[in-house]
Amino acid sequence: MKTTTGAPVGDPAVGAPGAGPSPRRRLGLSEGALQTLLLFGFLVLVAAYFTSRDPDFLTSRNAVNILVNASVIGIVSLGQLFALVSGGFDLSVGGIVPLGGVGFALLVNADYGVLPAVVLVLAAGGVWGVVNGLLIAKARINPLIATLGTLSVTGGLALTLADGVQVPFVDVADGVLTRRQLFDVNNHVWIFLGLAVVVFLVLRYTSYGRQLYAVGGNKQAARLAGIRVDGVTVIVYVVSGALAALAGAVLASQLLTGSGTAGTNSGLQSITAVILGGAALSGGVGGVPGTVIGVLILGALANGMAILSVPSFYQTMATGAVLLVAVGISQFRSSRRAAS
Amino acid sequence: MDAGTPALSVDGLGKQYGRQRVLESVSFSLRRGEVAALLGENGAGKSTMAKVLAGAISPDHGTVAVDGRPVTFASPRSALLQGISFMPQELIYVPRLTVAENICLGRLPGRLGSTSPRAIRRRAQDEAQTFDLDLPLDRSMDSLPLAQQQQVEILKALARRSRILLLDEPTAALSSRDSDQLLQLTTTLAARGVAVLYISHRLDEVFRVCDTAHVLRNGRLVSSSPVRDTSPREVIEHMLGRPPEEIDFSSEARPQSRPVLELTGWHRDRIPALRDVSLVVGEGEIVGLYGVRGSGAETIAETLGGLHADVTGGTVVSGRPLRHLSTPLAAHRAGISYVPADRKSQGLVAILPIVQSLSLAVLRSLTRLGVVRRRREAAAAAGLAEQVQLRARSLTQPVGELSGGNQQKVLVGSRLAAKPKVLVLQEPTRGVDVGARLELHRLLRALADEGTGQLLVTSDVEEAVGLSDRLLVVRDGRIVHEITHPTHASQPEALQAAGGPE
Repeated sequence: MKTTTGAPVGDPAVGAPGAGPSPRRRLGLSEGALQTLLLFGFLVLVAAYFTSRDPDFLTSRNAVNILVNASVIGIVSLGQLFALVSGGFDLSVGGIVPLGGVGFALLVNADYGVLPAVVLVLAAGGVWGVVNGLLIAKARINPLIATLGTLSVTGGLALTLADGVQVPFVDVADGVLTRRQLFDVNNHVWIFLGLAVVVFLVLRYTSYGRQLYAVGGNKQAARLAGIRVDGVTVIVYVVSGALAALAGAVLASQLLTGSGTAGTNSGLQSITAVILGGAALSGGVGGVPGTVIGVLILGALANGMAILSVPSFYQTMATGAVLLVAVGISQFRSSRRAAS
Repeated sequence: MDAGTPALSVDGLGKQYGRQRVLESVSFSLRRGEVAALLGENGAGKSTMAKVLAGAISPDHGTVAVDGRPVTFASPRSALLQGISFMPQELIYVPRLTVAENICLGRLPGRLGSTSPRAIRRRAQDEAQTFDLDLPLDRSMDSLPLAQQQQVEILKALARRSRILLLDEPTAALSSRDSDQLLQLTTTLAARGVAVLYISHRLDEVFRVCDTAHVLRNGRLVSSSPVRDTSPREVIEHMLGRPPEEIDFSSEARPQSRPVLELTGWHRDRIPALRDVSLVVGEGEIVGLYGVRGSGAETIAETLGGLHADVTGGTVVSGRPLRHLSTPLAAHRAGISYVPADRKSQGLVAILPIVQSLSLAVLRSLTRLGVVRRRREAAAAAGLAEQVQLRARSLTQPVGELSGGNQQKVLVGSRLAAKPKVLVLQEPTRGVDVGARLELHRLLRALADEGTGQLLVTSDVEEAVGLSDRLLVVRDGRIVHEITHPTHASQPEALQAAGGPE
């Protein structure tokens, strides 16, 4: 039975802060920081488990491995974070990642140069983002359905461009994003971490970030406060689309080929990572630190299972299970939020 | 009727959350056919009391007895089976089912799981006739206005032979005409032996229909007396724990001031329609706009907030004619700040901290190169919080954790941040307790004294006459009456003009 108020909060007018101080308040932590800490604890647990099964797990080489493999989904997840905070979804990343990969490979092979190719790929992803954004903000199509549609279109487009086959880089030694490394760590990792920092700053310190959380928290109230809700929403999907396309280019560089079938499950994985990182399906909640740890947990799980020679279809099942558990926890938290 | 045993008796009831005592040894009883009011400020324990009786939560101490038999409610369902029905503020029904189906829900006619629309309709019809209610039985529930939905819900309770009815602020969102109908129904039920516990903020209603008034303060029952032996003033005193202050905030005659808002010939064809609405709000003036639900008064407020693009007519703010007012952003840019009626769904983002809620509408002015200047923002928020006398643990607390009154203060504060030329307030104290209401009224008056012109759109006649310098009454989309310097004595005049009871 749903009633108007949950547990009485007491009357703040009399200065009663409700029930006794919670543990986190005594530690002086914000709720978000506490969640991130707990999540990090979980990551440590996962690492400890795999290390106990195979000491090779906890080596710096393997850590870099995990990071390199996670960087593709990491970049997609940073965009997905925008979508989930806004109260939406972006399933189309599962089509834009392969599209970005194939497009990047074709452009590099056509001698456009790496940097112009990256820019063009980013722009193409952004254009698909505009399509998503307009479908959702202007045509008022449910984000799930809108991006499901564009997922199919972009995925098909990737396969068409690749003509049903792979597009290997002609000159592997030259130009592909992997060539240079910094501190012995693959550039892909630096791209991911650099973007994570940028997104963190954007969400936390810019007025766009503020508006995004407000729109996700209560669209109508945000609109009445004079925020251009439609504009904010379109930008969400532009960012998500552009980052997904970039992730496609990174993935192609790792595989040394643009493939219309690589990265098709990045929708599921990125949503799992972001929700695992503390975002709420209802919008308005979520952040970069949690998302990054969520990505690393998924990466550690995949890597650990690979080391233990678990067949890859079990890994797919594990990702699905993690998603369901993460959503369950997220729903539990929002029902508690609603009750207090 | 057995006069000896009360229909409901509550003895020594206590409930504690953590270290906070929400209810402390509360005892009272309810006779059959009695309408008793449960009064108190927000947080006094009214809702907890209602939830205990409805079986939603179980008490730590004390007993509840129905017809003299002690009962324990394990769940809302068992409370229902004991004959207690609870009607919360936010109704719970199945929107897509018809009225008849909703009435019969849970006890459909027929057997072996088969039923027929005709049997359902017949049963609903019987129930409605028993209580002289005229309801559109074949329409879907969500197409009904709130007042009728409530009647359906009450009928549903009665159809289950409930002998005890708990009503939680049933008239909070009703127009005065609809409220009257509901109050009428309440007395009819009482006359048939139903015991009614009526939770309300509206003292005028309590004094019209209730036999007894129980007042809670900080979880304790501080007074219980027949209403004929007490007065609204005395009840307010019990609720507040101190004598009420003078609530008439309308100011003395004001010299003709410079107009800050002028509407000319506003017209709208869609329902609720507007017909040739013209009005002027002067600098430092509070102009009240009073009308029942659907009269068009709300539409005027919403249009000024940028929510209706289909209104035609002239709008001048501080001498500058506006070309359009079709989005909330356009309204903000024109210098109009709009405080919507529903703070939960339209006003505030519950999960945002207070600081960010206060700065939301003025982010642009607090931003340099896209980056929010946090120190400025914090300073601005602190200033606003003080101006509206916000009571909160800290300004980083999510605004959703605050009491209704404090949430409303944040909402008003967020609109003041823009230093508006004119402030449009829609139902600024709806669902707010007496103390916070007084503070909000004082705040609005102080703002007016500093020169902020205000258009106060309200369906609360007491507020309309108590706060306005000039009161305009809206009926069927037209301004039909004007009262300059309204006083409490103007209430009947305003009600009459709005089409309320004679």
